[in-house]
Amino acid sequence: MQILRQSEHTTKPQDDELLYVGKSLQKPDVAQKVTGQAIYTDDIRISGLIEGRLLHCPHPFAKVKAIDTSKAKSLPGVTAILTYQDAPQNKFSRSTMAEALPSFAYNGERQDQKILTDICRYRGDCVAAVAAENIYVAEQAIDLIDVEYDVLEPVFDPFQALEPNAPQIHSDAKNNIAFEMDHPFNVGDTKQAFADADVIVDFSGVNSRQKHLHMETDSAIAQFDENGRVTIISPSQGPHLGKKHLSERVFSDLEDGDIRWLSPTIGGGFGARLALGLEPIAVLLARKTGKPVRVTSTREEDFNGYASRTDQHQTIRLAALNDGTITGIEQYIISDAGAYLSHSATTSLVNMQKSLGLFRCDNVYGHVKVVYTNTPVTAGFRGYGNAEGAFVLQQAIDMLAEKLAIDPIEIRSRNIRKEGEQSFFLPCVLEHTRLQECMDEGSKAFGWNKKFKGWNRDKSQGRFQRGVGMSILNHASGAGGFLLEHSSAVMKIQADGSANLVISPCEMGQGILGAVTQIAAELSGIPYEKIRVVTGDTDITLFDIGSHASRSIFVVGNAVANCAKKINDIIRECAITHFEKRQVKVKKEDLIVQGGEVFPKTNPETTISVREIAHDEIYNFTEIGSQISASGAYLSTSHHPNHQAGFAEVEVDTETGHVTVLKYLAAHDIGRTINPLLVESQMQGGAVQGLGFALKEDYVLDQTTGEVLNDTLLTYTAPTVMDVPELKNLMIEDPYNHGPFGAKGVGEAGVVNPAAAIANAIYDAIGVRIHSLPASPEKVLAMLQSGGREMPNGASHVSGQRL
Amino acid sequence: MKTIATFHVNGQEYDTVIEPHMVLADILRDNLNLTGTKRACSGGNCGACTVLVNGRPTCSCITLGMLARDKDIETVEGLASTKNGLSTLQTAFVQNNAAQCGFCTSGMLMTAEALLRENPQPTRQEVKIAISGNICRCTGYIKIVDAIMEAVSTLQTINNHNEKA
Ligand code: FES
Ligand code: FES
Repeated sequence: MQILRQSEHTTKPQDDELLYVGKSLQKPDVAQKVTGQAIYTDDIRISGLIEGRLLHCPHPFAKVKAIDTSKAKSLPGVTAILTYQDAPQNKFSRSTMAEALPSFAYNGERQDQKILTDICRYRGDCVAAVAAENIYVAEQAIDLIDVEYDVLEPVFDPFQALEPNAPQIHSDAKNNIAFEMDHPFNVGDTKQAFADADVIVDFSGVNSRQKHLHMETDSAIAQFDENGRVTIISPSQGPHLGKKHLSERVFSDLEDGDIRWLSPTIGGGFGARLALGLEPIAVLLARKTGKPVRVTSTREEDFNGYASRTDQHQTIRLAALNDGTITGIEQYIISDAGAYLSHSATTSLVNMQKSLGLFRCDNVYGHVKVVYTNTPVTAGFRGYGNAEGAFVLQQAIDMLAEKLAIDPIEIRSRNIRKEGEQSFFLPCVLEHTRLQECMDEGSKAFGWNKKFKGWNRDKSQGRFQRGVGMSILNHASGAGGFLLEHSSAVMKIQADGSANLVISPCEMGQGILGAVTQIAAELSGIPYEKIRVVTGDTDITLFDIGSHASRSIFVVGNAVANCAKKINDIIRECAITHFEKRQVKVKKEDLIVQGGEVFPKTNPETTISVREIAHDEIYNFTEIGSQISASGAYLSTSHHPNHQAGFAEVEVDTETGHVTVLKYLAAHDIGRTINPLLVESQMQGGAVQGLGFALKEDYVLDQTTGEVLNDTLLTYTAPTVMDVPELKNLMIEDPYNHGPFGAKGVGEAGVVNPAAAIANAIYDAIGVRIHSLPASPEKVLAMLQSGGREMPNGASHVSGQRL
Repeated sequence: MKTIATFHVNGQEYDTVIEPHMVLADILRDNLNLTGTKRACSGGNCGACTVLVNGRPTCSCITLGMLARDKDIETVEGLASTKNGLSTLQTAFVQNNAAQCGFCTSGMLMTAEALLRENPQPTRQEVKIAISGNICRCTGYIKIVDAIMEAVSTLQTINNHNEKA
């Protein structure tokens, strides 16, 4: 075992007693990724495989009048053509969460779309599909399908969609309201709190539709066997829930067990793969043709179709006393789902849960409305509403601090929830938080006290102005108590003493395979490099809702820990007779398994190898008489919040409006770091995505045609290496007793703070507030030129829509 | 119009049937089964499909196969050898966890490989400029730059050692 590097970033010394946990070990799947050997869906070769493509509607809102497939059918090499007439009429949602949600949130999962449709609600809605011998023929055939449309009047703006005379996009959604709800955790009386307050602030803002931009575009393979069972291969973040959803909602003649779902190597997810992608149409084409079919999509299809962050138009109001104590919070959200609901309602709910739950407050009111428009479908994205909310809330709290002349860190310190108080998920107590330490250590490492010059500092004239800003967050480590937060793992020992570990979450690059293997190695006593970890096949893995909500290290990690402890137990049990054969009398509880060897605590020189024990269990008719194996499960009943503080320093060019981030630091309340290198990788990746969200990434829709104007990687400017500032990460370690070795989640948090911290830093630099993301040069300049005039409530510039 | 064309990839010669519209990325992947080269945009905008053509980093997704015939092509599959295992650059990527989902990795490696051959001692800034056309959505790039810089210093040590010997 080689430790790749010592971590310089943790606040606590490493625990010397642990062999694997806390060490930067090489993750199991990295070597195949640097040699080109890792197999992604598009790399799979199946004999007889045919290729499927989709026909998209060119209008934002239209009804199909007539469709003629005859020319396409006669093209040599075409195997099948399906239109909306051939597809099931069942409605479903691309989000699979309906199968995992409690009833009160269930309405947030409208089943509102069909695989192929004759009523097209956005440019990109799917009308027909083709399967052909190769991709070239499939694309030609798509071009040969003639469709006559009745073009309808579209609506692109959520506020216009709410007006009484707006075109109705779904016949069962009055005023285009897809979902409306009060925050389930509203308490107290905010009206009174605002009436009694010493100070009130009010801030509105909206985020852009950041694209997930997983580098592997969507693709799915489906193949039926002779018994009518279908195998799906696709980059899914949650195949178990996917097959339940598919059988429950889409193909009513299939049962859960009729679907086997394989997820090979996944080229990035960030939440997009939590939903169904091309799987339903692949199944339909496979069934029709009797052949294995692969359906793929281009980058342009990805940009014009599914999915992006939901643009959430928010107003947050804070009421406080003169000492900075927050006494009332209100949040109003109007979210633009696009043409179908997918995750937009649940991301908006989660935004409220995190934003309204960050600070201790007795009077809380939140309300969300999610609206349909004739625009591409939006969905869940890393952070799941939290980044959208932080951008508004964290500016509001800074405005409050300014009014009261309190330091930004100080005002947050006075209001954050402490251990033993209610957590943001109200039914549960906040069992563990080191958010204060994140702020303290983060501000020290960042040099906050020197850099922040107070609210009234003299903003001297000059072209380049510098400023600093900060932001804090709370996030879940799995949504226990809300979603089906359980997971199971299986481990078995081979005759050579090596092990197989079967786990359920998918590896999208986050490194979960490595982290849980480290936990398994530490607790089973089998060396890390002798454990082969397996995932991605629903016939082998146990039920689990997939990789999301920063749940895997916590929920799956705990399941693996339970499993590995059982293995350790069995090995010790079996070892007793082996020791006896050598005339060594031992008790089970005195034995230790480590590095593949078993030895008595008091006599570490006398060892028996796990190899010998495991071999005998399989080949030598021992008493137990079976291969050493165990399964372990874990059910999480709370959200187990993790926290983070982010600090940004920017320089604004007041002539061009261009913002440069000079430095960004994040301090994360992680409980315990299982693998510092992997955690740091997650935090860096999250921060740079957050930076893109803050300053660059926009999704521009033409207001008159509904066309996506930047549908290539050239025109949609994702961060490149040149955009990366000096980045620092701190892991604030203090083991949390419910986490495996004390670990809490970390995957999503990194993306949440940057936009909020940068917006606050821009204000510190030039005195204008950012109401709309991204804070692109033209917006910053417009705000500067208008003298930083605050925009009225709810009238923020909508990204790409009103500017 | 189908033609038989010869490609020299990673030192091996392949004859394969192609059509004039086929791009190099598809020929490598579909005809020669070298799927290590990825396509993420098929428009020359992300660098995921980068291969070396006569030593120069090239977007194989916008290079017509016809134009790459009889040229010296190198792909990610050619970096490691059975004799020596992973290349220094690949090892550095592993050690720094410079590949998360791995979809940009082949392109990053090939771009870096070309840089190091041309300029064995690049500065951090030169490394950044070299990979600025390669998009990675997962890593935030820092580990990738770290990895390339680590490979630079390892190669330097090996060179110094060889010179002394
Ligand atoms: S796939 Fe060739 S540049 Fe993106
Ligand atoms: S590692 Fe996923 S895109 Fe670079």
